Amino acid sequence: MQETLQTLVGGLSLGAVYALVALGFSLVYRTMGLVNFAHADIAMIGAYAASTFYLTAKLPFALAMVLSILITGAIGLVIERVLRPLENKDFDLMLIGTIGFGIVLQAVAILIWGTTGRAVPSPVRTAPLDILGVRVRTYDLLVMAVTALAVVGLGFFLARTKRGAAMQAVAMDHEAATAVGIDVGRSNALAFAIGAGLAALAGGLVGPMLYVDASLGGALGIKGFAAAMLGGFGSINGAVVGGILIGVLDSYTAGHFQGYSVLATFLVFTVAIMIRPMGIFGERTVSRA
Amino acid sequence: MPRNHRPSAPRTTLVGAVALAAALAACSAPGDDSDKAGSDSGPIKIAVVDARSGQLSSLGDWEYKGAKLAVDEWNKKGGIDGRKIQLKSFDDQGDPTTGTNLARKIAAEKYIAMIGTAESAVTVAMAPVLQQAEIPNITSGQADALVEQKSPFLFLNGPTSTTYDTTLAKYLIEEKGYKKIAVITNNGSFGKGEHDAFTKAAGDLGVKAVTDQVVTTDQKDFSAALTAIRSKKPQVVFIGSEEVEAGLIVKQARDLGITAPFAGAAPQGTPVFIDTAGKAAVEGTIVSSPYLSNDSSPAAQKFAAAYKSAYGEEAELHGAKAYDGANILLTALKTSKVATGKKLADAIRATQYDGLLGQFRYGADGVGITETSIGVIQDGKLVRQD
Repeated sequence: MQETLQTLVGGLSLGAVYALVALGFSLVYRTMGLVNFAHADIAMIGAYAASTFYLTAKLPFALAMVLSILITGAIGLVIERVLRPLENKDFDLMLIGTIGFGIVLQAVAILIWGTTGRAVPSPVRTAPLDILGVRVRTYDLLVMAVTALAVVGLGFFLARTKRGAAMQAVAMDHEAATAVGIDVGRSNALAFAIGAGLAALAGGLVGPMLYVDASLGGALGIKGFAAAMLGGFGSINGAVVGGILIGVLDSYTAGHFQGYSVLATFLVFTVAIMIRPMGIFGERTVSRA
Repeated sequence: MPRNHRPSAPRTTLVGAVALAAALAACSAPGDDSDKAGSDSGPIKIAVVDARSGQLSSLGDWEYKGAKLAVDEWNKKGGIDGRKIQLKSFDDQGDPTTGTNLARKIAAEKYIAMIGTAESAVTVAMAPVLQQAEIPNITSGQADALVEQKSPFLFLNGPTSTTYDTTLAKYLIEEKGYKKIAVITNNGSFGKGEHDAFTKAAGDLGVKAVTDQVVTTDQKDFSAALTAIRSKKPQVVFIGSEEVEAGLIVKQARDLGITAPFAGAAPQGTPVFIDTAGKAAVEGTIVSSPYLSNDSSPAAQKFAAAYKSAYGEEAELHGAKAYDGANILLTALKTSKVATGKKLADAIRATQYDGLLGQFRYGADGVGITETSIGVIQDGKLVRQD
């Protein structure tokens, strides 16, 4: 029982991070109908930026996170601006463009920070809490709280603000949105910037849990992408549920299948996707090409 | 206009083919030049193949720096037979497939010897190609799978996992009297080698692991495995995984309330391991290593000082291993008067070298060092236990 609960706690904290990555994937997808394959590498840049501000510039962790979100937000804007001429014209080229940006970002990270990574000490120094024999790291609680805040904040933005409503309108029908005077380009740019910011949030938060190097994106990206698929690509709630499910599933398969855990995780994932191809919160997918 | 051009299409193809052939010939020309360079004049070409990107890149970085230091010293003394030694670095990304391609590349480009890799899995993948091309290879890998290749061109610049782990098991069981030992290893080439070597060594001394956890090489959350280990209340936990993963395991284990010390081979003696886990978490870690500190001998002090002045950072085991390996290769090149292929491999095997790790005496299996020492991490530094 204790082992089951402890495994759950371990899975939840990484699941929260996967949820943030999945949120970014989904936000860009629902707005533009585009899968941003550079997303995971933006998260890696975010992790590096946050660790640099925190460790090298000795800024407080929260400030380092905000700065890194701003930087990656700007990177998101640049990517969207470069790809904009292709919007609604050549969808495949846009996809490949995002893959290209991912490769460029990895190369840039190696140029700036070198090939050897860095370990980030946890910004929360209090000892883990002991709840009925289950140890909960205080930093993990922080990660889950920040993720919850980000989800609520994003939900509020999309549902209650004018900009957010405009983004929803573009997601539903970009031609009709243009007809009523919504700037589709600006809406897309905003989606890209927020998506990149979420990636940085995920990267920055995961830094003290893992090890920051240029290949961090690969580790986060595949699980984050799977989380978005599982929850229903484009769905905000789905991204959260998918992320947590993937994290917890991964944690349990690691316990039961040991060396074959990755195989087990993705077998379960494949079966789930076969049963529900649209994902758990399968919204009508946006198809724009 | 287009119609006028149509009949000329075959001719265009022909011209294209000729141009292509000319281009290919032009490409192979430098190769021919270096062929001569590889045998009697010009610089002596040695390849360093290692991970220069990805999670294992710190290994590659240390290895290149160690080898480069040795080569620079030899070049300063005038090289070998009046010829300079040229070292070129290749990035295998820690990936066996990339490694195999690089093996073909360095064979095609007529490198006479290869230093690296620091990843057993990559070296194992490269070994058949290098054996066929008769290129001697001094690796920093330590998995017993390397010896099982039975390649006469493959040499280790340190002890094998069996040596590391037999020494470690003896210390833990006989000196410390530990009976309850937990084992956590990854399913990669290195981790599997460590698992087999350690469990066998402990088994020979009559101790069976209380729990035997296997994780994947890119796993990030070890809650399940560590909770299982915690419930067995072991006196010591053996880790068989590379630097970063071992660091993450120790960090998470301490958070879960495991207070037992950890034990392991080479990776646990590195700064990357200590940084990843945090200094407090690694206190008391028991390490089996042939190179415990930069103060262990006058030669080590000299090496560490040279390393620091060249790169501005502290030397450690992997740099020392690569330095020894490069020196053995260069000594063999000197005694054999820059032989290549099988003659060079025989010269390496015959080389007796007193290095930083100890006295190298190569056997037919390509292993030159068969002992390690035990150190314990105290206040972030390895301290010898005798």
